Amino acid sequence: MFIAAAIPYLGPMIVVEGLTKRYGRTVAVDHLSFEVTPGVVTGFLGPNGSGKSTTMRMIMGLDNPTSGWARVNGTTYAELRWPLREVGALLDAKSFHPARSAYDHLRFLAKSNDIPRARIDEVLEIVGLSEVAGQRAGKYSLGMGQRLGIASALLGDPGVLLFDEPINGLDPEGIRWARYLLRDLAAEGRTVFVSSHLINEMSLTAERLVVIGRGSLIAETSVSEFAARASLDAVRLVTPMTALFLAALDDAGAVTRMEDDGAITATGLSAAQIGDLATDRCLTVHELSPLRGSLEDAFMELTHSAVEFEAHSHSVS
Amino acid sequence: MVMTNLATRQMPVSGYGTRQAVGAELTKLRSIRSTGRTLFATVAGTLLVTILATNSFHHHGRGLARGFDSTNQSLTGMAIGSLAIGVLGVLMITGEYSSGTIRSSLAATPRRPLFLGAKVAVIGAISLVVGEILTFACFFTGRAILSGRAPVASLGQPGVLRAVLLTGAFLALLGMFGLGLGVIIRNTAGAIAAYVGVVFLLPVLLQTLNGDGNPGRFAPLAILANSVAAVVPQSGQLPATTGFLFMALYCALALGIGVAVLGRRDA
Repeated sequence: MFIAAAIPYLGPMIVVEGLTKRYGRTVAVDHLSFEVTPGVVTGFLGPNGSGKSTTMRMIMGLDNPTSGWARVNGTTYAELRWPLREVGALLDAKSFHPARSAYDHLRFLAKSNDIPRARIDEVLEIVGLSEVAGQRAGKYSLGMGQRLGIASALLGDPGVLLFDEPINGLDPEGIRWARYLLRDLAAEGRTVFVSSHLINEMSLTAERLVVIGRGSLIAETSVSEFAARASLDAVRLVTPMTALFLAALDDAGAVTRMEDDGAITATGLSAAQIGDLATDRCLTVHELSPLRGSLEDAFMELTHSAVEFEAHSHSVS
Repeated sequence: MVMTNLATRQMPVSGYGTRQAVGAELTKLRSIRSTGRTLFATVAGTLLVTILATNSFHHHGRGLARGFDSTNQSLTGMAIGSLAIGVLGVLMITGEYSSGTIRSSLAATPRRPLFLGAKVAVIGAISLVVGEILTFACFFTGRAILSGRAPVASLGQPGVLRAVLLTGAFLALLGMFGLGLGVIIRNTAGAIAAYVGVVFLLPVLLQTLNGDGNPGRFAPLAILANSVAAVVPQSGQLPATTGFLFMALYCALALGIGVAVLGRRDA
């Protein structure tokens, strides 16, 4: 008897509620709650050591939460009927035996979930390991190991995919490939949850973000919202002809703001454009410098207190 | 499109179970070269020691005592087989921990008692088959070397077939015992040390205690050598069946603790 596995369902496929993990007195994950929906890539963002991997392992049922729970496809991971066909995961760079070939690694995984053998060749082809599939995995570079991990995740053709730092060890071409792969998977209606400590990478790959710091949720937002929080590229300008310059900038369509020290902060024009404007209007410029506000800054600002607290608590212990 | 259309996918309702888990374990074992090497070491080492033991007996065995147990003498090599098969059992799980494969395995088979059960079934079946083949090989090899120089037993004599069959089955218990220790300890070196300690050193240690009731007879290797592999009952030793049951108890204990800690621990 067969049933269709994917019953049309548009709600969250991963639900985490009050998830907490303590190791002795250290709190790795602290009452974390969030949801991951299908159809878009959701980035799981946080500094190193903020609890991303621990959270993912708890979602996968590998680590037991101290309290709280995580559900995938509406059930706990342990209760999935065909785990690999419902959830695929790349958890660590190394989760294969160095003496076993990539093909045999995929073969035992396929056996464990009744996945047809032909699928092994398909995923090897997708990740570009077909030529070296017979080699012992211990000989693989970090990037090849990562590709084998991605192949393992794709093996069961699952609707939910978790990737923990998938671009680690990939070369620039590999990173681009992984980016497109993740987006394609999401575009097919799958739930794609991918962790990273690099905000700029996530801004290229993800649409939604779950941001954590020191095990706690900092923001559950979209990348565009997150970017809006980051200060837009601004230019700092010091001039003895403030009033004239303000008028000229206004004419040119810039948004201006007076700073306490008498400088003008202008947004909407580049430093070069403002320089040209000064020349055209014969205005004197004493200082003209671009202020870089970026996603990185926004991320740092958001996670700053968390990181600082962590550093502090380490120095005490 | 990277993969298939989600809406058209079909899966059997029943879900994974013993067949899938055992299939995965067999594939894992077969796809690692050390399995073949360990099994080869088991067979070669056992036969070599049996040949040496029976051969030396032929040279120095003047003035045979009455009640000489040629079967027991022929099965001497099983001590080496005991070591190798235990190592195979240990490696079956500690290799997963050291390599990180355990996370792949438990992601594929999250029901941990089933995961461990499949491993027990596979190591039990393999070491039973290897054990039986080996004991019969030892029996006939030893008999061939001893015959003409000493009184030799035949399988038809009372207790001989029992000793040979039970000794082969004892190897299956040792393989599973090694697996149990591996699950509890997780580290290869630590688990092998514990296995050697319990199986090989404990009899020696208990013997030195020389306490009342000969505590050494309860140790695994003493059970194998003096009870299970003995046709002629040896004084002060456990009866064969009792000894075998004691080993089964150790095995069940190790696996019982193993399944309990495996369920609780983070992978």
